[in-house]
Amino acid sequence: MGTDSRRGLLKKGLLGGAVLALGGGGGLFLLPGRLEPLPSGGLKVLDQREYSVFAALARRLVPSTPGVPSVDELEVAKVCDTIVSQTDPTAQAEVKQLLQLFERALPNLLFGGRVSAFTSLSPEAQDEVLGEWRRSSILLRRTGFLALRAVVMGATFAQPRTWPLTGYPGPPSGFHQADAPHWVGGGTPRPDGNGVWREPT
Amino acid sequence: MSQGTIRGGAELTADTTVDCDVCVVGSGSGGSWLAHELVKQGKRVVLLEEGGHHTRREFDMTEARAFPALYQELGNRTTDDLAITILQGRSVGGGTTVNWCASFRTPDRILAHWAEHHGLEAVNKAALTPHWDAIEKRLHVAEWPLGAINRNNKVLWEGLGALGYERGLIKRNVNNCANLGYCGMGCPLDAKQSMLVTVIPDAVELGLDVYANVSVRRLEWSGTRVSTVHADVLDPATDRPSGRTLTVKAKAFAVSGGAINSPALLLRSGLDGGGLVGRRTWLHPVVMMMAQFDEKVEAFSGAPQSVYSHHFIDRGPGKVGFFLEVPPVHPMLASVVATVVGRQAQTLLSSLPYLNVCIAISVDGLLPQETGGTVKLRSGAYNRVSFNYDLRAEHFEAFKTACEEMARIQFAAGAKKVMSLHLDPVVLESPGDLSKLSDAKWERLQLKVATAHQMGGCPMGADPKRSVVDPTLRYRGLDNLFVVDGSVLPTSLGVNPQITIMGLARNAAPAVAAAV
Repeated sequence: MGTDSRRGLLKKGLLGGAVLALGGGGGLFLLPGRLEPLPSGGLKVLDQREYSVFAALARRLVPSTPGVPSVDELEVAKVCDTIVSQTDPTAQAEVKQLLQLFERALPNLLFGGRVSAFTSLSPEAQDEVLGEWRRSSILLRRTGFLALRAVVMGATFAQPRTWPLTGYPGPPSGFHQADAPHWVGGGTPRPDGNGVWREPT
Repeated sequence: MSQGTIRGGAELTADTTVDCDVCVVGSGSGGSWLAHELVKQGKRVVLLEEGGHHTRREFDMTEARAFPALYQELGNRTTDDLAITILQGRSVGGGTTVNWCASFRTPDRILAHWAEHHGLEAVNKAALTPHWDAIEKRLHVAEWPLGAINRNNKVLWEGLGALGYERGLIKRNVNNCANLGYCGMGCPLDAKQSMLVTVIPDAVELGLDVYANVSVRRLEWSGTRVSTVHADVLDPATDRPSGRTLTVKAKAFAVSGGAINSPALLLRSGLDGGGLVGRRTWLHPVVMMMAQFDEKVEAFSGAPQSVYSHHFIDRGPGKVGFFLEVPPVHPMLASVVATVVGRQAQTLLSSLPYLNVCIAISVDGLLPQETGGTVKLRSGAYNRVSFNYDLRAEHFEAFKTACEEMARIQFAAGAKKVMSLHLDPVVLESPGDLSKLSDAKWERLQLKVATAHQMGGCPMGADPKRSVVDPTLRYRGLDNLFVVDGSVLPTSLGVNPQITIMGLARNAAPAVAAAV
């Protein structure tokens, strides 16, 4: 995607034009960050750098807790890739741009005096960056924070292995029937069930 | 007429063309009831649905399965700026497959407002009551008994009672409900009387043909008539276009895709209603307060919504009213809705069984200065629209008042701590802390706002300059096109909308039949 079209997408899309002033503009101060090894089976839509930002974000948003699998064990960043792959192509493009923007050093320099990419920062500094996005007076940074947070939290807490952390017992057993009739008409009798009308007796 | 069939995208293995009397686009509250009434009159009806035909054999009560399969944009639909999260159904049955069963008739004051401000004298209580009677009978609508309400609802009930606030029990559309609490993920027992298990199969028995996994791209029209619907067949495995098409030729058409997708389809078809289509969309914007209790609340278990309060529904001139209910609280949705991160998030989520959440649902669209939401087409997107909503000072005043009142109610019911859903949450340890809410930021994207009720965008009315459809729901300027869903509501309702939409659909059926 060329710079012009990327600029146009940003102006019209999730992040809006003002984001360009926060760190877009042709990769200025784009220092190398820490790359995660690619997951087994590869990635669907994210590149290695974008995947690495999700992995770093997940570790800070959902820190390790004894007795519960870590976000790395849960492969949260890979699940994020799957979630993003199922969205509209325009949303995919915006999430990818947001991840790259989050990683870039320029906004970190402007807002926090840091000269490293997000993935290369210490955990404490990463928390500070997250706090800056979350509490920013600039609406578009708050939007970006919420977008990435929603994907990471959804990718984490949709997984049953996290339920022990929340005290959620899971759905009640004995009600779901995986072999229940799947009636589609076509001249076959409709199976009896709670949806079938009967005159009250 | 012989029995109809429900087909999915996998069965449409080649480009297909079908003929019928009426083609209905969208299988939610409006489209299903309309289709049902028309087949009862002997019309040949085809019902199209963009989502899949998911049934109870898939309803395993997990969020991981339910959201991608049953919600628009996997549950991630939002306004463009992410200020408002939009929960909206997408499968055979539409919103009724995943709603929380609250069943209210249209309030008198809303019908009076529509008559006075939108010329809708004909859409009145006497006209709608026979439809509501029939709908409520078929869907087993009945008040949920106080003895069966879960602890989450009981918090609201007790708090309202302690403060002397108006309170009531919600009527629900259920039959043999086991009080599980998973209505939002598809009922595993078919106890919820959704369109999926009631009106749609009833209509299929009478001859209705349903096509799932078909995305209607365009209505072909000329002069004053629509002739054809053009749809892409989606691959059920990927939800992407399969490359095959479905073409439906009919004598009359109804657009019933809901308050965001119906305007989008009309706009894609070059039908902008004189610039009104997609404008004045109402959302019942929701704000929430989360309370922690010493005893278990287990808001993930039991009928999700059984108590309401309309105590603040009419707050006087110039103010946005709101009504109070509770939502179910399951781990994924709670983790996404909560605004905290890191250890704070874990501390909060680890107390999930002890959390109560109250919601305040704002009644938007009644103040003259409100403009609501605007749906536009998004360049390069397939089914993702551009959507913005004008959150105004009047809404934030209502949000702040609502959060204070919810906290008051939660403390009155015994909460030990109450938290707002600001990006920087306000934590209240006692009723004496309520003033802390005054210092919080009441601005866009400073606190979580959501919607589960989408209305408007194709408003009905008597004045052609202010309405997209006339009081019979006929699209102005086309003789055989109707809009039959929540998008025709000229304002929001102040109650959960499914019964209103069903009633309007049933009421519209004679006009649609007459257009055949």
